[in-house]
Amino acid sequence: MSAHAELDLSAPSTAGGLVGVAQAALDGLNNLFALLSALAIAAAGLILTWEVIGRYLLAIPSDWQDESAVFLLVGATFLSAAWTQRRRGHVGIDALGLLLPRWLDQVRRVLADLASAVFCGFFAWKSWQMLVETWEEGQTTPSALGAPLWIPYLCMTIGMVLLAVQLLLQVAGARR
Amino acid sequence: MSALQLGLLYGGATLAALFSGIPIAFALGGVATIFMFAFMPGGALDTVAQNVFEELASITLLTIPLFILKGAAIGKSRAGKDLYDALHTWLGRVPGGLGVAVVLACGLFAAMAGSSPATCSAIGSSGIPEMRKRGYSPGFAAGLVAAGGTLGILLPPSIVLILYAVASQQSLGRLFLAGLGPGVLLVVLFALFAVFQWGREHAKAVKVAAAGGVRSPILADEHFTMGQRLAALPRVLPFLVLLTGVMVALYGGIATPSETAGLGAIMALALIAVVYGAFRLSDLKPIFIGTLGESGMLLMIIGMSLLYSYVMSYLHISQSAAQAIVALHLSKWLLLTSILLMVVVLGFFLPPVSIILMTAPIILPPLTAAGFDLVWFGVVMAVVMEMGLIHPPVGLNIFVINRIAPDIGLGQVIMGTIPFVVLMGIGVVILSLVPGIAMWLPDAVYGVAK
Repeated sequence: MSAHAELDLSAPSTAGGLVGVAQAALDGLNNLFALLSALAIAAAGLILTWEVIGRYLLAIPSDWQDESAVFLLVGATFLSAAWTQRRRGHVGIDALGLLLPRWLDQVRRVLADLASAVFCGFFAWKSWQMLVETWEEGQTTPSALGAPLWIPYLCMTIGMVLLAVQLLLQVAGARR
Repeated sequence: MSALQLGLLYGGATLAALFSGIPIAFALGGVATIFMFAFMPGGALDTVAQNVFEELASITLLTIPLFILKGAAIGKSRAGKDLYDALHTWLGRVPGGLGVAVVLACGLFAAMAGSSPATCSAIGSSGIPEMRKRGYSPGFAAGLVAAGGTLGILLPPSIVLILYAVASQQSLGRLFLAGLGPGVLLVVLFALFAVFQWGREHAKAVKVAAAGGVRSPILADEHFTMGQRLAALPRVLPFLVLLTGVMVALYGGIATPSETAGLGAIMALALIAVVYGAFRLSDLKPIFIGTLGESGMLLMIIGMSLLYSYVMSYLHISQSAAQAIVALHLSKWLLLTSILLMVVVLGFFLPPVSIILMTAPIILPPLTAAGFDLVWFGVVMAVVMEMGLIHPPVGLNIFVINRIAPDIGLGQVIMGTIPFVVLMGIGVVILSLVPGIAMWLPDAVYGVAK
């Protein structure tokens, strides 16, 4: 857990060549989804605030607020995941970096990114299957609101696909 | 394959994945997925995504981004500096008053922001230079802020306690209240140490000056007029109102924890807009960038850790491990000591959120069997994890300090934090001898648990 990522959130510079072009395109998407995620978190805050005000001042029953907040916040988590990874914001343990010789450590880093990409790709595939299933069967949450469940799975699918692509670009960019 | 073999394999695979440098979230998720594939029925793999969503879709867990937003809003404003400036004018006559002011400011700030790194950087970025200007040794100044910052995981709205509430199925309200007493205990211990250490450095400076050496600024007397003290209040009061307002809303039964989180975040944004005029896009951008980075990382770890412990319990690894611990028939306090030592060791390389979610299913049943109150234990565990934030080799707060005060050597920072690690250890002992420090408040508000 050395260098912690939440401390440095400035985007690193981009490599040149094909990887650079792909990264630039992904950065555009990442920034868009990061903006949407930020708005989603703010919206969740407003909704929950409204829940309190509505119940106490206007005596409006609260039935949809918690569930929409959950959807917004789950969406924000996944949609901003690639943006966070671009900044190496998903922290890992880098203790081996101090022990291994430079070239071997370089290999370790690339393999770690590759393994992460495989997992995220697999997770994206499973999210996609859930997206299709919830969409086709019209599944909803078990609550009174009955919100359509494909919404969070759509966010998860997009987020994990972008995350896997981001990791692969970091693998490709690591070769010097 | 026996549960023991399976457990060893699971643990070994986890260690290998974590130390390979794969981000913690993906390492835990990946290990869980591989074991689902190898040891669980065929259809299990299809539920990976569903599992993570259903575990994450808890309104308690999802208060975390909102508490982080609240902390970021206050943390990126000047509130931290104003807070300890004001406290300093009021504590000017106390020996080591500035140090005490920094500790108190850390405590109050932590109670508003709920995050250790945010507290460290908010109070430290101006507090450390201020203390050094007044002749405090760099290590002392750094240690004080690093330790004060750890209060963030103990005082409500501590993210660590939110997770513990979910993992242990204890009441979040009780846990938050139980964190208050120990938080005050640590503030008192830290403040006493600040006075003591200031006295030592002051005495040394007196000797140097008497011998004709450089006159350290620590010897200067500072006085603040009543007018200065009162003038410092208006900028601080709104934040203290926010702090108490949120508490009252939560414990007065006006708002649920999730509503409190939303309300707190929106009120914090409104406050910095009114008090500091921070409402432009350029003011809001760093707040939201910080929030996204931290909450995205944390929730991803949380979601994958939950998948990880689901697999661990499906394969009966956690239950068998828990039974094995119970079967050891350790004495009550030996059990507690060994579990806390394990938490310390895990704290060397894992963040508190993963420690809680990964170990709770294993360590909580034996602790319950031994007659410990799980709310009390949660708070003690939080104090122990606080130690992990400031002890070498990888204390997170040490690195935060290193970033905001790069000219203080890492070695000096670490030397400065060690007395506080010892103080926290003393705090844990006190809490074990007098559990009432943690429990009287929740018991008074909610009644004694059965």
